[in-house]
Amino acid sequence: MFLKTELQWNVVIPAESLDAKGLMLQKAIIVRLLDDFAERKATKDLGYLLALTTVEKIGEGKVRQHTGDVLFPVTFSAISFKLFRGEILKGVVHKVLKQGVILRCGPIENVYLSSSKMPDYNYVPGENPIFLNAKSSKIEKGTTLRFIVIGAKWLEAEREFQALVGLHADYLGPVSGAPSASMYDLP
Amino acid sequence: MSDKGGKGFTAVPKGKGKGGKSSLKEATPKGKDDGPAKSKKTRNVQFSSQANSGKGGQADGGAKKDKEPLQLKLENELPKGAKCLMDCEAADILQGVQDHMVILSKDPSIKLPVSFDRALQYTEKSTNYTDPESVRQVLQNLKTYGVTDGEICVMANVYPETADEVFALLPSLKARRIMLDDPVNDVLSELAKLKKSA
Repeated sequence: MFLKTELQWNVVIPAESLDAKGLMLQKAIIVRLLDDFAERKATKDLGYLLALTTVEKIGEGKVRQHTGDVLFPVTFSAISFKLFRGEILKGVVHKVLKQGVILRCGPIENVYLSSSKMPDYNYVPGENPIFLNAKSSKIEKGTTLRFIVIGAKWLEAEREFQALVGLHADYLGPVSGAPSASMYDLP
Repeated sequence: MSDKGGKGFTAVPKGKGKGGKSSLKEATPKGKDDGPAKSKKTRNVQFSSQANSGKGGQADGGAKKDKEPLQLKLENELPKGAKCLMDCEAADILQGVQDHMVILSKDPSIKLPVSFDRALQYTEKSTNYTDPESVRQVLQNLKTYGVTDGEICVMANVYPETADEVFALLPSLKARRIMLDDPVNDVLSELAKLKKSA
């Protein structure tokens, strides 16, 4: 789910950028903030940081004792994306394994769908392995699936999330053209 | 925070187990023993390391016990000050940022987060409504019946055709189906008018 939050971060401006005039200083602060924001990539609370929408306020700068840099507290709004348990989302299969499939959902690369959570689907090995059910509904690389999120795990080292999802309820499964679950056509 | 880097989807409950903030059951196999050892009976697997979700983990693989229902309990897990956005609303905002970037990209010091493109693509695939604001307004009516913001967003994102679909995908609403059936049906017919034709 997409979230919009108001945040306050501290932006450190090196002393060299400070002799610029007022507007240039603001630009330096915002550029620095964008930089920090892009580098952060994701946080445990907010999920994947996507974009800064507005800068609400730039507070008074505080000079840091030893370096001469100035620290500005900046209040801004941002959009992020995070998976929540119980949420219904869509993802695209990018790997098919005997134990299940791996999907991509928005910015998240590692969404695992175990075969035990794909009721009635059976693994069909081959050069292009797929999962098939009795009604000939196929799950293969490139299929879009609607799933429910069972859980999400934050990996501190990689700064990313992993998710575990399932199809074990009504109205879940392949979308766009599949006979079983859904009647939508994705553009 | 229990960033213990455990393998697999296990996490240690916070608050020493005696019902601190949540009733998380602990996962056993790694031998971490904070909290009481309900271990052997319940091979529960907890994925989210946010302890605020009152729902403990579900048993993965076979043991038949009281399964915590897999429901959206967003409000417990949302960070402070965060607001849920529907995919269509997010699409508008991200597209706006993209448009600005066309101009700003001339300045090499300005860059966008890595996830931005993927998220934009994701929303482009899901924009099925002609007017996100009207969608929001239509769904706001459900708030008077106690439907939460998170549930409203999921409802919009799911793009439901029938009330059955809504209640199947949002089991947290099922309990109040009697009360919600009519309002949900009304909302669905309004949403149908706002859907883009394929």
